Amino acid sequence: MSTEDLTQTPLAADGVFEVHLAQRGETYQVSAAQSILRVLSDAGVDVPFACEQGVCGTCLTKVLAGQPDHWDMFLTPEEQAANDQMMICCSRSQTARLVLDI
Amino acid sequence: MFIKNTWYVACSLEELEALGTRPLGRTICNEQMVFFRGPEGKVAAVEDFCPHRGAPLSLGKVCDGKLVCGYHGLEMGCEGKTVHMPGQRVRGFPAIKSYAVVERYGFVWVWPGDQAQADAALMPVFEFFDNPDWAYGGGLYHVKADYRLMIDNLMDLTHETYVHATSIGQPEIDETPCKTTVEGDQVILQRHMTGIQAPPFWQMAMSANGLDPQAQVDRWQICRFTPPSHIMIDVGVALAGHGGFDAAPEHKAYSVVVDFITPENETAHWYHWGMARQFKPEDAELTAKIREGQGKIFNEDMAMLQLQQANISKWPDRKLLLLNIDSGGVQSRRIIDRLLSQEQAPATPHPNDHTTGIPA
Repeated sequence: MSTEDLTQTPLAADGVFEVHLAQRGETYQVSAAQSILRVLSDAGVDVPFACEQGVCGTCLTKVLAGQPDHWDMFLTPEEQAANDQMMICCSRSQTARLVLDI
Repeated sequence: MFIKNTWYVACSLEELEALGTRPLGRTICNEQMVFFRGPEGKVAAVEDFCPHRGAPLSLGKVCDGKLVCGYHGLEMGCEGKTVHMPGQRVRGFPAIKSYAVVERYGFVWVWPGDQAQADAALMPVFEFFDNPDWAYGGGLYHVKADYRLMIDNLMDLTHETYVHATSIGQPEIDETPCKTTVEGDQVILQRHMTGIQAPPFWQMAMSANGLDPQAQVDRWQICRFTPPSHIMIDVGVALAGHGGFDAAPEHKAYSVVVDFITPENETAHWYHWGMARQFKPEDAELTAKIREGQGKIFNEDMAMLQLQQANISKWPDRKLLLLNIDSGGVQSRRIIDRLLSQEQAPATPHPNDHTTGIPA
């Protein structure tokens, strides 16, 4: 049995990562072709969003563990480097698991 | 298709000032633009399209040099970058197009094409603007006709006899053949009439310049087309036998008809017309009088051109005639077509490139 901490494990070559929602206690798989936002909305998780291109800031989400791969243009480079929040519409993960404050 | 890598007159500074805090929306060569004064008072031009919801920015207003969208208050800067939006971070907003602008000769000039090629050094030079020896008055008409119909009109002044029978027309125009020459990118069409009676407009000008309006005169019209669509016409009358165009200033009344023709789209254009004159340049009343007369005359052209365009649009496949009087327009259109194909062509091949295009 593996005790590996996936929030510290680099993303696999296929680009698939898992998103754990800490408040809800749910975990979802996000494939390379999906966005976190789409996976969550398809699963019925009510997350606010608007532009879906990393501009408006509506889907800003707190990150509790794991390292986001920032693709948005809303956060400043400094904010992105802090890795404690992300835009789930377009940004992805650099680690196999992200833990979000949802 | 329009020549786009060039300077066009977009508006007069007067027109922009008159709008106060409102920006000016104007389509030029099918590019929807909005003009406004930026933070340093310099005129800027950007796409008339709010990156938020596509609203025309020209319906907004200008506050502290920023163009504020009239829909939700997005604030657009001179470079096409959003500078502020209520309750919103704007750093990721996509930029809209901005256009190079030059303020010169009382006009705002714009470069609608490739912005990397915009070069103020390529602006045309005119001696009669900002020159105390000259007076200038003019106006603007929005003409619902292909801009090339206006070029045809101005590069063939035989129409004056018919369209402007009561002001500048006279049968001698028809009776005197014109000569067309092409010098590089310039087309020159000239007609010199000798020993004639001046028509009403020129009688007025002769009186204003202290000449007997009933005297016999030599009259000239020298039309000069330069790309993309500027036409300057030397016009005037001199007391007969004093050398016509070359007569001494005290023997003549003459001026330059200034025509800046800016395409809006395929069937409409912005026509900035005016007259620059060297006689009595300090006489503002005379400038106003000439401007009023010219405005009436050019209104007659506008009526003709708009209905001509309506006819052509109705019968697009109908072939039209080009006659001996049309050579000035024909040559001007040839230059436009040549420059258009140059602009459309891919980058010219390297001279040392011996590729023949024939498969090996």
